[in-house]
Amino acid sequence: MPIETVELTHVYMTGTPRAVTALDRVTLAIGDGEAVGIVGPTGSGKSTLVQHFNGLLRPTQGRVLVDGVDLWARDAKERRAHQAFLREVRRKVGLIFQFPEQQLFEETVFDDVAFGPRNLGLGEAEVAQRVREALRAVGLEEADGPGLERRSPFSLSGGQMRRVAIAGVLAMRPQTLILDEPTAGLDPRGRLGLIEALVRLRRERGLTLVVVSHNMEDLVRLVDRVVVLERGRVVLDGPTREVFAQGRVLRSLGLDVPPVVALLEGLAARGADVRTDLLRPEEAADEIASWLRRREEGIAGVR
Amino acid sequence: MFADITIGQYLSGNSVVHRLDPRTKITIVGIYMVVLFTAVSAPAYGVLVAFALLAVALAQVPVRMLARGLRPVLFLLLLTFFLQLFLTKGRVLFALGPLVATWEGLRLGVFMILRLLLLLVMASLLTLTTSPVALTDGLEAILKPFRVVGLPAHELAMMMTIALRFIPTLMEEADKVMKAQMARGADFQSGGLLRRARSLIPLLVPLFVSAFRRADELATAMEARCYRGGYQRTRYSPLRAGPLDWAAAALTVVTALSVLALRWWPR
Repeated sequence: MPIETVELTHVYMTGTPRAVTALDRVTLAIGDGEAVGIVGPTGSGKSTLVQHFNGLLRPTQGRVLVDGVDLWARDAKERRAHQAFLREVRRKVGLIFQFPEQQLFEETVFDDVAFGPRNLGLGEAEVAQRVREALRAVGLEEADGPGLERRSPFSLSGGQMRRVAIAGVLAMRPQTLILDEPTAGLDPRGRLGLIEALVRLRRERGLTLVVVSHNMEDLVRLVDRVVVLERGRVVLDGPTREVFAQGRVLRSLGLDVPPVVALLEGLAARGADVRTDLLRPEEAADEIASWLRRREEGIAGVR
Repeated sequence: MFADITIGQYLSGNSVVHRLDPRTKITIVGIYMVVLFTAVSAPAYGVLVAFALLAVALAQVPVRMLARGLRPVLFLLLLTFFLQLFLTKGRVLFALGPLVATWEGLRLGVFMILRLLLLLVMASLLTLTTSPVALTDGLEAILKPFRVVGLPAHELAMMMTIALRFIPTLMEEADKVMKAQMARGADFQSGGLLRRARSLIPLLVPLFVSAFRRADELATAMEARCYRGGYQRTRYSPLRAGPLDWAAAALTVVTALSVLALRWWPR
């Protein structure tokens, strides 16, 4: 399900003195199976952009194409058909908002995750199977205490609640998963658990992943491509490695580079002969160790 | 979805009416409403309509904005009109089968519509030209004398300010939760009345949960700043009545007296 935007412009409160242009002619294509990170300072239009990906917002101008079909091309007469079409798009493109645990409402974890599948009109056996599968996918299994399914979602920890909420979207079996700040406010264990679950989902099911985040470390683990937004425009778009090599641009926008990049850049600035285009801590550790070895050999050679 | 709600909306501006002291405005609207219910003759309504038109003109509020606020009660207005028209006994105007319209009914119907319209226009004018904070400040000042009989004026005003402050926040949150549930296939727009009411549960439960959480956090934050009720608190912007307020008050008194005179003056 490739998602494409063409000259997408979104203006909030059009026609009033307080009109705000949140997106300004954004043209972007996200292919099947890609994992894309979206970063940008607060108010740069990230959340607005991802809400266009599954038709929750209507563009002020421009087009949004999912699977090559323009989401808003139909005319007003086909309103019912259009509603059904948008529901189908929203099933295939799962969107998880910031702090999704705030949308939990059912009496038990099971019922909450089952909300989506039941809306699809599936039979209870199929629903139960999907709920188990979704809970397993986010790493909430019987290991987290027997009967977790039958507990109230409001009795869980913050990290668990968030994973239940994400399972609620996964139970719809989307082909694309969009997450807005998925790790904000989680403790380190909750964060790692969630990232591992997402990486596994992508590997096992070939999900397309779109992640909005301020946490560059998370993005390094989750995505291969990063799009940088500023005031509603795309300023950088490329492979993670290349985008994070643009430290100066990122910092000028008030953004950060991953700590690993900052460390390597700092070492290089102090005269160390290390590569600065590595992103993961493990890669950096190898590089620094090999640099230290080379240096010792060099010193030994001089003696 | 929530864009058509104009009740209680504030439109910032700098007109004569905007600059009036909120106490003056609340009092004027109060007097106006009481006097409105004593008007029974065409000349009395004439005076009241003239006063309302003057107020609207001076407030420089777009008429479209006012009209939009009246749209939801249109049905109620028409219903009252027709009830009066057909259910009042008197000289026959025309008959529609068993329904008989009378001259007296027409007269009462028109007066009733005018009465409701003027009531709504003045009330919306008050909120359109007075910021919520000024409004509650004014209300608190007016209610203050009743403290001697145990009315918690400050606390009431505080509760109102907080309630008003959180309306936009709650709307934003409702919008977010609604979208989140729509992403899970929720359907808020189709089905019969019962199905629609049931479809609101996934929206209302999260909203209530977060409203309670928010209230709790706010209470803690206020406690942490040692907030105590109104006793001996000073104000950031004390209310001051100026010549403008006296002029407006004088005009109101003249209007009110002439309406009362038109009713009870010995003929």
